[in-house]
Parts: sequence; C-alpha cells; structure tokens
Amino acid sequence: MRKLWLILIGMSLTFSAVFAVDATLKIEKDVEQRARIALVDGSSVQNSKAFDLFVSDLKISGHFLPDKKHYKGDIKTNFILPALKSQEYVLKYVMTHTSGSKLLVRLFKASDGTQVFKKSYALGGTAKMPFLVHKAVSDVNAILHYPDISWINRYIVYATYTRPGQSEVRLADYTFTYRKTIIRGGLNLFPKWADAKQRSVYYTSYREALPTLYKLDIYSGAKSKVVSSEGMLVCSDVSKDGSKMLLTMAPNGQADIYELSLATKAKKRVTKFKGIDVNGRYVNNEQQVLFVSNRLGYANVFKKSLNSAATSQVVYHGHNNNACDANGEKIVYASRESNNAFGGNTFNLYLTASNSSDTRPITTTGANQFPRFSTDGSVVFFLKQQGRGTSVGYINLSSFQSLLFPFNGNKIQSIDW
Amino acid sequence: MTHKLWMISTLIALLFSGCAQTAPALGGSNVNGANAITGETVSIDETSYGNGYNSSTDGFNSVYFNFGEYAIAPKMEATMKANIQRATSANAKIKIEGNCDEFGTDEYNYALGLKRAKAVKDAMVAQGIASANMVMVSFGESSPVCTEPSDGCYDRNRRVDMRLVK
Repeated sequence: MRKLWLILIGMSLTFSAVFAVDATLKIEKDVEQRARIALVDGSSVQNSKAFDLFVSDLKISGHFLPDKKHYKGDIKTNFILPALKSQEYVLKYVMTHTSGSKLLVRLFKASDGTQVFKKSYALGGTAKMPFLVHKAVSDVNAILHYPDISWINRYIVYATYTRPGQSEVRLADYTFTYRKTIIRGGLNLFPKWADAKQRSVYYTSYREALPTLYKLDIYSGAKSKVVSSEGMLVCSDVSKDGSKMLLTMAPNGQADIYELSLATKAKKRVTKFKGIDVNGRYVNNEQQVLFVSNRLGYANVFKKSLNSAATSQVVYHGHNNNACDANGEKIVYASRESNNAFGGNTFNLYLTASNSSDTRPITTTGANQFPRFSTDGSVVFFLKQQGRGTSVGYINLSSFQSLLFPFNGNKIQSIDW
Repeated sequence: MTHKLWMISTLIALLFSGCAQTAPALGGSNVNGANAITGETVSIDETSYGNGYNSSTDGFNSVYFNFGEYAIAPKMEATMKANIQRATSANAKIKIEGNCDEFGTDEYNYALGLKRAKAVKDAMVAQGIASANMVMVSFGESSPVCTEPSDGCYDRNRRVDMRLVK
C-alpha cells in the first residue's frame, strides 16, 4: 500500500513538472481569439508595398490573423471568393497614386458578403501613402470594437548620425516606410515629442558652445530656446499635459535628473548622485521617476519619488541595464547579457512593473536596444541588431505578435514615438 | 428534380445579392479620413553648424580611456602633464570634450563621455587651473576619430579632446 502511495505521488510530481505552465512566459495568444481576415486588392496596378503594410498593421494590432496571400479582385461587388468563405472578414481595397494617394476600403463579413464598413482616404502626395493604410486599419479595428490601435497612425521622430559631428532629425511612420528629414545637418540629438498631438519636438542642439534644448513646431518651423546646460542636456520625458519635463543635465559636471516647469522655468533637481543618473521617465501618475543609474557600480534601473529622497532599486536582474522606458506601471528595459569589449554583445529586453517584481524576457536573440512603449503601452518598439543587419522591431504585449522591418540607414542615435 | 431547382434558385439569389451594392466612387465625401497627417512638415537646413573637428587642437593632446572607464589611466600621466602646462598659458577658456566608442546606448553613453571630461577637468583643477576657466561638453559617440570596426579604432574614440573656446 505504501509503495502504491509512493508511485502515485511520484507520478503526480512527474506530471506537474512536465505539464506546468508559467503564465508569465506565455508567448503566443491563442490564434482562435484573433479574427481571420483576407485582403483583396482591387487596384488597377497592384502594389505589394500597400499589401505588406495592410498585413503588418493587421498583424501587429493583435486582433487579426491576416491571410498572407495577395488576392486580386473587384472591389465594386460584395462577392466573396469561395476560397475566402472560411475567413471571418474580407477587406477589399483600391489604392491609386494619380494626383496624390487615394485609398478606398470596404470591409465585408466573409460568410455572407455583408458590408460592415466603407471609407475612402486621400492625401496630397504619394510619400505618406503608408499613413493611409495605417488609418484605414485603425478604423477597421475601431468599427469592430477592438481595443484602440491608433498608435499606428503616429509619427516616429528619430536622430541619426550621418558623419562624425553631424546628424539628421527625421520623421517616419512606424514601419519606417515613410521617412522625412526635418532637421538636416548640424549636430541635433535626442528628439522628443513635446505634445500628444505631435505638433512640436524638443531636441538638443550643439550649435552653440553649450548643449541647448530647442522646441521646434514641425509644421510652422517656429523654433524657441528652452534651456541650456554645461556637460550634457537631454529631454528624457514630457508630462502628459506638456507642462513639465524631465531633463538629464549636468550644470556642475554631474549627470543628474531635473524636472523643469515650462510655465515658470523653475528647475528641481530630482537626483543627487556623484555617478551617472540618466534616462528619467515619469511613472505612477507622474509622482515618481524611473531612471538609470550606476550607483551600484553598474547601470541599473531605479525609481524615486519626486518629493522625497528615498530611492529604490527596480530591477534585480542583470549587470548592465542601461536603458529603460515606462508607461503607467509597465517598465521595459534593455539588459546587456554578454561582456565583449568590442562588439558582438547580446542585449535583451525585459518587461517588469513598478509595483511588481515579476520580470519576463520579451526578446531572446541579437542586440535589442532603444525600447519604447506605444502611447497606450500595448506595444514595445525596439531596434534589433543581428549579424550585419539592423531591424526595427515591435512586440504586442497582449498577443505577443512581433514584427521586424529591415532598417537600412545610418546608426540611430535616439528615438521617440 | 426539386433539389436541382432549389440549388439553381439559391445560386441565382446569391449572384444577385452580390451585385446589389453599387460601387462607391473614389474621392467621395469622406476623403478627409486621414486628416491627422495631411499637414506638410518643415525641413530645416543646419549643415553649416556641424561640429567640424574631432581631435584636440590649440596645443592640447587627447586623453584616452579604457573600455567603459572614466578614470585617467597611469599611461596618460605624461599627456595630462603636457595639457596642464599648456593650460597655464591659455589666454582663453578651455573646452573639454568627452567622447565614447560606439558601444553604448542613448543617454548613458553621453553621461560616460561627461564623466571622462570631468575626470580631466578635476585633474587640471588639482594642478591649479581655475575651474571657471574650463567648460565641459559631452559628445557621446557622435564624434568618432575613426569608424573602422577594429580595436585600435575603438581605443582612439574613447577620449577627451581639448581646445580653446574661440
């Protein structure tokens, strides 16, 4: 009888070990939860670029499972090809590029051809064509009452080195299919959106003797000086209402985090440490600041209240966590996981929270850096270096759908979304 | 026979239902759906304001650092001695520029460059050079002396440059 008990206990332990599931490491949402959708291109000149954009947008939304076959067909009818009846939706579209870009989309229920949505979009030029597709997909997503994905309509602003001592500040759509230089030449770095509507950017200019922060209206070109500092000056984060910002400044040669009130121009020193404190991010309703510091002898992520001196360690993993981003309570950070002095280092991204010690990896290979949350915190942007290739990556944190777009260009210095 | 009739009727009905919707014309009344990104953005030219130099000038010598470090290495003592001597006869403010190799990210690399500049400034202050006569700026990895992927090149980029402010 005792033997029987031992066998039973042994079997149950074996089964629990074999079939245990770590919920925090679940990396693939059940595909059945996403709506199957096929694309039918009715354009007179079929365009694989537009089709690829549709597929990427639908995929990264986390709400659709797009058929990757590029079907051609007439948009004028609601006839659904028999082969597509197994889908839930069929999205028919026509893209034209005569006198600007125009896009017409019609969404049908695949089962009976009922039209669910119809809309046309137009833009003056052809360069911004990707935004037409992004807007259409975010509208389709909204009409089906899925959680908002309007982040795909936003500009990305980034600085890239062009040659020693020279850089450019550029705009891009999230796939980097659209790119435009808004500040050419000079040494202008660390661009940061100044407002939720993406009308202005802050950036650090090295045009004068000291690093100087400017605000640029990207539509009118109006430029104003905000502040300058000896040593270094970076606008790391802007409050939701745009009235305050977190700066990394070094007026005395020490890189510390300051909060600047734009109304009064009053500066408050948030960190006071003799080493390196950088990368400030507002967290917990802008009552606390997340930042990277080498106060333990290596770069790691900490947080502190804006109104008290107490500082606490946020990350208890890795020995070189030198970049982070925050959205609400979510935190993403980059961790260097090898220690080669000259290249070939592995950097992975980890997701944690300001109110939890749970940490999970969201990348596993290559050098993954510059993590940035989407405005709603549902998606993480990052730059992936693997071998000789650089890609722009996105991970949907709900569905764990990931996308990589090849990035052919000079080295990115800094990025904001 | 009845079965065949039903099938044909159903097919005809399906065919007609497919044609029932008239095709919408492109450029209809709701062409402004993409308003959010219709505005034209500016393009500013600042090509004449780049940092045109990336090594020490005005009689100063660059100070080099080990990977990831910001302490002045003993092998740089002679260089520092020469720089301090040059600084004593300087008739203008001295600019101390911290630089890094490309193996850093974002803000942290700029802070590392600044720590290197501060190490040089502190060493000069300790030898009697007035702090008010020096200004520090970190250029992070933005101003490499060379760009080849070699150890020798990376060594040359982890440096502090010095020059007179003109």
